[in-house]
Amino acid sequence: MYKYFLSWRYMRARRTNLIGVVGIGVGVGALIMILSIMTGFLEETKKSLRGGLSDIILETDQRMFRDGRRVPHSPAPLLEAVRADPRVAGACAQLSWFGMLTQGGSRSAYATEQLADPQKGNLSGVRLFGIDVQDEYQTTELRAALARTPLLGDERVADLDDPFAPPEGYVPDGRPLASCLVGEQLASEWRLRRGSEIWITTALIDAKSGEVHPSDRRFVVAGTFRSGENEMDLQRIYLARAELSDFLGTGREYSQVLVRLKDYERDGTDVQLDFQSTLTQQGLVPRPEFVRTWEDYRRPLLGAIENERVLMAIMLSLVVVVAAFTVFAILSMMVTEKRRDIGILSALGATGPGITGLFVLIGFWDTLLGATGGAILGVLGAVYIDPFERGLSHTIGVEIFNRKVYLFDHIPAIVNPVWVGVIVLGAFVIALLFALVPAWKAGRLHPLDALRYE
Amino acid sequence: MPKVRPVATDSLIAARGIVKSFQIADRTLEVLHGVDLDVKRGELVALMGASGAGKSTLIQVMGLLDRPTSGKVLLDGSDAWELPLAERAALRNRAIGFVFQFYHLLPELNAVENVLLPAMIGNSWSGYKQRAKEFKDRARGMLVKFGLEQRLDHRPAQLSGGERQRVAIARALFLDPKMIIADEPTGNLDSATGERVLELLLTEQHERGVSLLLVTHDERLAAHCQRIVRMEDGRVV
Ligand SMILES: Nc1ncnc2c1ncn2[C@@H]1O[C@H](COP(=O)(O)OP(=O)(O)O)[C@@H](O)[C@H]1O
Ligand SMILES: [Mg+2]
Repeated sequence: MYKYFLSWRYMRARRTNLIGVVGIGVGVGALIMILSIMTGFLEETKKSLRGGLSDIILETDQRMFRDGRRVPHSPAPLLEAVRADPRVAGACAQLSWFGMLTQGGSRSAYATEQLADPQKGNLSGVRLFGIDVQDEYQTTELRAALARTPLLGDERVADLDDPFAPPEGYVPDGRPLASCLVGEQLASEWRLRRGSEIWITTALIDAKSGEVHPSDRRFVVAGTFRSGENEMDLQRIYLARAELSDFLGTGREYSQVLVRLKDYERDGTDVQLDFQSTLTQQGLVPRPEFVRTWEDYRRPLLGAIENERVLMAIMLSLVVVVAAFTVFAILSMMVTEKRRDIGILSALGATGPGITGLFVLIGFWDTLLGATGGAILGVLGAVYIDPFERGLSHTIGVEIFNRKVYLFDHIPAIVNPVWVGVIVLGAFVIALLFALVPAWKAGRLHPLDALRYE
Repeated sequence: MPKVRPVATDSLIAARGIVKSFQIADRTLEVLHGVDLDVKRGELVALMGASGAGKSTLIQVMGLLDRPTSGKVLLDGSDAWELPLAERAALRNRAIGFVFQFYHLLPELNAVENVLLPAMIGNSWSGYKQRAKEFKDRARGMLVKFGLEQRLDHRPAQLSGGERQRVAIARALFLDPKMIIADEPTGNLDSATGERVLELLLTEQHERGVSLLLVTHDERLAAHCQRIVRMEDGRVV
């Protein structure tokens, strides 16, 4: 029983133990806090990667079925089949094609000239997306992207419920142009404003002859959007689906259907598997591999994000190792300092293993207090990082976290209780391993050598 | 082969043929050259001899603190140095009480806690908890009896030498051992204080009927003892 009593007494009597407690506390706290904030950022990044997509993507590429059939021209049967599934929250059809944004006022001849000499620049490859606004709103993050405060200028649409409405003050000279929505980076690069006119050039390949037929059309910019994902904001132009279909003139009405699920985490793979069999059987999707989840699409980037988090955790774990090392140093000091006490205890009947236990317990208290305190502070720090940062920024007059740069107006932090547990447990294991060395030495001290220490 | 002296039936502890040598660099220094010593139950034995004669070394071997190079320490008939570590530790805890010249109290504990230490070491958590009150009352009672009523909560650093040694004596007696081993318990005290401490020790020894092996230089004191053993150069003479 003396082990508990004495270890606790030594803990309290020796101020040096505070260093160990604080060391472990800071290590554990920082690890939890930084990991939580990192996770928050990574999750936000993940969300932005998913932004333009939805949960499940059904591609109905022009490619033929193996038996030569084709998917229906209209998306209606596929949308109907998808929406019939009770796990589906929304679905929308998209028609996508590539295009080039050529300088305002130019014609396809100009574009050809530009293509002939890439050094001249002023040409942007873009992805054209034909969408049905209300369906899209129910399925993707487009509404949020349109509503989000832009980083560069402010050319948001006037009416979110009708984003393709002609921009206010737009006076067409001749036939009114159809509206388009442009990613904010693309818009900024081309100095486009609401009401600016753009030329979009595209080319279609004749399936029979293999000839390339360029075609172009003018559009008016109704507004910009900010998805937060570079690729989208730099390359994407939204048009009304019917408008794009008309522009392309191939009779194709859609190229993919996006599906949002009620609970992707729970149903994602099930729905994917179900769709792979049913939709191909019904002749609505050419091949099973055209039924993909958004994660299938973003696999490499998501992998990189996960890697980053693991690396981060490994590096920060070193902080805990350093903290555990202070426990080692403090205990070693204490064993030397307490040589006489160790001798007295053996004379009074303590065994070597008992003395080892005594010092391990001191390490245990250090870790218990440090890890618990650190975990509490770390969790609090992660949860209240946002008001804390605001207060600090306000006090020192420097903006630490520039909210405009990110997609979110607060510092995101996700506290995962499992990790907190793993970190605390890890700190325990490491600190106790380190404590074991000096404690074991203490247990092997010869009682008389210790007593002679006068 | 020297003949081993038989162990008397009323002997509590018997050292037989104790040889102790120390290894210093590449030299071996033999400090005890085959010592025999018996202490009977309740007996008061004074161990005397010049400084360096090997008194401390002998009682450390007999007190199970230091393993002899050869020889036996028979306690209740069995060779204590042949016992497993834990049993020998238990004997140190319950059968033997030590009083050292330099008190050897734990500086972080107050007087009562220092006295309680043998009980803390000898009992498990639950075992101690059950009897905690009894232990504490007993420790306080002993200290009060030893004239330390005002010193119960004091740390060793706040106590005088004489007071510290009284606490050490209370600690040695706390678990009612069969034997007390005291190595020059007054060696660090002025003569007046030393005398009072010794008086206390002898009174307790008498009242409790515990054996006392007392290392001392004081011839006057030794005269009170039932038996005086003298040592010279690692031999009993
Ligand atoms: N650990 C040790 N290492 C070497 N020599 C020792 C050790 N302990 C005691 N001695 C030697 O043994 C002899 C006896 O010492 P000790 O038993 O302390 O004598 P006493 O207590 O009678 O004064 C001394 O010469 C001392 O130097
Ligand atoms: Mg001595």
